[in-house]
Amino acid sequence: MTATATRPQDAASPAARAKRAPKRERQGAAWVFLSPWVIGATVLTLLPMAVSLYLSFTDYDMFDAPQWVGFRNYTQMFTEDPRYWRSVITTLTYVVIAVPFQLVLALAVAIALKSVKRGKGFYRSAFYAPSLLGASMSIALVWRAIFNDGGTVDNLLSGVGIDIGGWINKPGWAILSVALLTIWQFGAPMVIFLAGLQQIPAELYEAAAVDGASWWRQFRSITIPMLSPVLFFNLVLQMIQAFQVFTPAFAVSAGKGGPADSTLVYTLYLYDRAFTASHMGYASAMAWALLLAIGVVTAVLFRTSRAWVFYANDNNEGAR
Amino acid sequence: MRKKRTKASCALALVLTLGGTLTGCGGGEGGGSGGKVTLRFTWWGNPDRAARTDQAVKLFEKRHPNIDISTSFAGFDTYKAKLATQAAGGDAPDVMQLDYRQINQYATSGILLDLGKHRELRTKDIDKGLLATGVVDDKQYALPVARGAEAIPYDAALWRKAGVPEPTIDWTWADWTDAMRKLKASKKDIGGRVGSTDPGQSEDVFEIWLRGRGKALYTEGGGLGFTADDLTRFWEFTTKLRKEGVVAPAEQTTQMDGTVENTPLGRLKAVSDFNWDAPSSGYDPIVGKGLKLAPLPAGDDGKPALYYKPSMFFGASAKSQHPKQAAQFIDFLLNDPAAGAILGATRGIPANDSIRDKVLPKLEGFDQVVSAYQKQFEGKLKDPPAAPPKGDASLQSTFTRDYDQVSYERLSPREAAENYITEAKAELKQ
Repeated sequence: MTATATRPQDAASPAARAKRAPKRERQGAAWVFLSPWVIGATVLTLLPMAVSLYLSFTDYDMFDAPQWVGFRNYTQMFTEDPRYWRSVITTLTYVVIAVPFQLVLALAVAIALKSVKRGKGFYRSAFYAPSLLGASMSIALVWRAIFNDGGTVDNLLSGVGIDIGGWINKPGWAILSVALLTIWQFGAPMVIFLAGLQQIPAELYEAAAVDGASWWRQFRSITIPMLSPVLFFNLVLQMIQAFQVFTPAFAVSAGKGGPADSTLVYTLYLYDRAFTASHMGYASAMAWALLLAIGVVTAVLFRTSRAWVFYANDNNEGAR
Repeated sequence: MRKKRTKASCALALVLTLGGTLTGCGGGEGGGSGGKVTLRFTWWGNPDRAARTDQAVKLFEKRHPNIDISTSFAGFDTYKAKLATQAAGGDAPDVMQLDYRQINQYATSGILLDLGKHRELRTKDIDKGLLATGVVDDKQYALPVARGAEAIPYDAALWRKAGVPEPTIDWTWADWTDAMRKLKASKKDIGGRVGSTDPGQSEDVFEIWLRGRGKALYTEGGGLGFTADDLTRFWEFTTKLRKEGVVAPAEQTTQMDGTVENTPLGRLKAVSDFNWDAPSSGYDPIVGKGLKLAPLPAGDDGKPALYYKPSMFFGASAKSQHPKQAAQFIDFLLNDPAAGAILGATRGIPANDSIRDKVLPKLEGFDQVVSAYQKQFEGKLKDPPAAPPKGDASLQSTFTRDYDQVSYERLSPREAAENYITEAKAELKQ
């Protein structure tokens, strides 16, 4: 690069011409190439977000023009709506169950698959498949049938003498069946873990083995720290997605969040307010509260990450 | 370097994922036409209604080669939410099926076309009383399709097996309760089923119960026509029966979603249910020959508490590109004898007097059951209640949800009733 700049006789070469082209022109080209994304993001994301922010300060039933009500939606939400808080607690319960179990399972399977020699591709695809299917409504409906009374799970369990009945009709059990659907989709974080595992230099394990470190010791002192950035990435991503869980809760409760509001997760309540009760303003306020809450939780995670996420290249950077 | 990049990509992924929080919805539908006029027509209903409606639509298209009708249907809850969203976005279908509770809101918000101006649409045969229910601000915004009445669809074969006397037109809630207890006593003969769906979850049943006591859901002025005491009494009555095991348990009730397949009777866990008369045709393939309709219990005075309700309406979009054709199509569905013969009683007993008198007696199957069911009330019913006020649209689901808390014993009937009254007052802006 530096060589090109010091040799004026090369000025005619295309590379050099490109380099000397006015900055503005190059930026123009960049914008042209970016335009599909920029237009999409503006029209389909930023604009609706702005409208939603405006609506959150109004009373809007979709038929009459929005009426400005200031912070009333927010105060009502936080101080007068017991169902709102129930949906918050249900969502937190779900996040606390689904995310850790999913990540532990993903990591365990990734480690097991790492040492598989034959049929690697098959196993990876097989474990990844639920992640591709899982978000769909059809799978959620199958889930509803499996966990209903007289469904597969009920029959299997009562076959061995455990008589729970249909999970989806029991408050307490219903949210578990929703969480299980998420945990079952551990394939996506698993693939990321696999990639991360392969990045860990084999020398580290060899050296540890020579020193007589046990498997557990190697796992704790090499795998976990070396994998912590990937673990962190998966944690943040899965958590954000878990806070927004909708489809399985919707399908399992036929859109109602039952039994007795036990699967009424945050977004399902939001949907109920927006489309059943036609309180679009209130629902928009809920959406913004969720955005802020997820933002805060994520910020906290980033803060704590300084203490436990280990970046192998940090030392090199310091040396430079 | 690497640390920065990881952080940057984390942040980017984060922003993209968060964006999804606020803009979750999408999708749409397209329709093309090759020089033809295309009308969009949407309705709610069960597969039986869908099959017959498609047949009628085909006949119309055959007679009007220049008009294409593209149709879609859904269950009621889904339909209601989707139509409201479409209407708010200025994209209401050309012809739409409407519920009694939607007319006022849709008409006053400029979504519906004034159909009174369209000569293509004849109204002379439509029952005058019903016709008036589609008028808002002196304009005919919607046309009543049919009238319906609440009913108790039941398996008469099992009923007889248990030795329970057949329901009569003047049976009371006490008689109904006796019948349910008798059914429970002979549980072995009826395959271990319970007598009935839990009536506590249905606002429609509560309304009939209230009418039997001389009250109503809403007053003429659009206020609440009952108190927390009334609702508490009703829910204490149903809770007692549920605890006795006479009506379906909470686990069954919570699965109800507006389709007949997910009711206790539809799942073959109960002997009877509560539903509107026409949609009860959905039980026909499940229950079979024994399916009959019984009237809901009469009031304390022994007079039927039921009433005829306009079961649904047809309306056209004010923004339709082809209002004339839309009016033609509605006219065909309501007034054409051939269409009447195809549609039968799938939307209720037709509001068109001449179709009701000439076409209906020739029909067979469940249409006859519905027809005979309504005939027995001729001249015996009290006046229907006032039209539901604006803001009540979501109260039906509030009712069901509050009772869900009662049946799972999270709230007492009194607590849940107070909750309902508070929310109802807020929705009605009282």
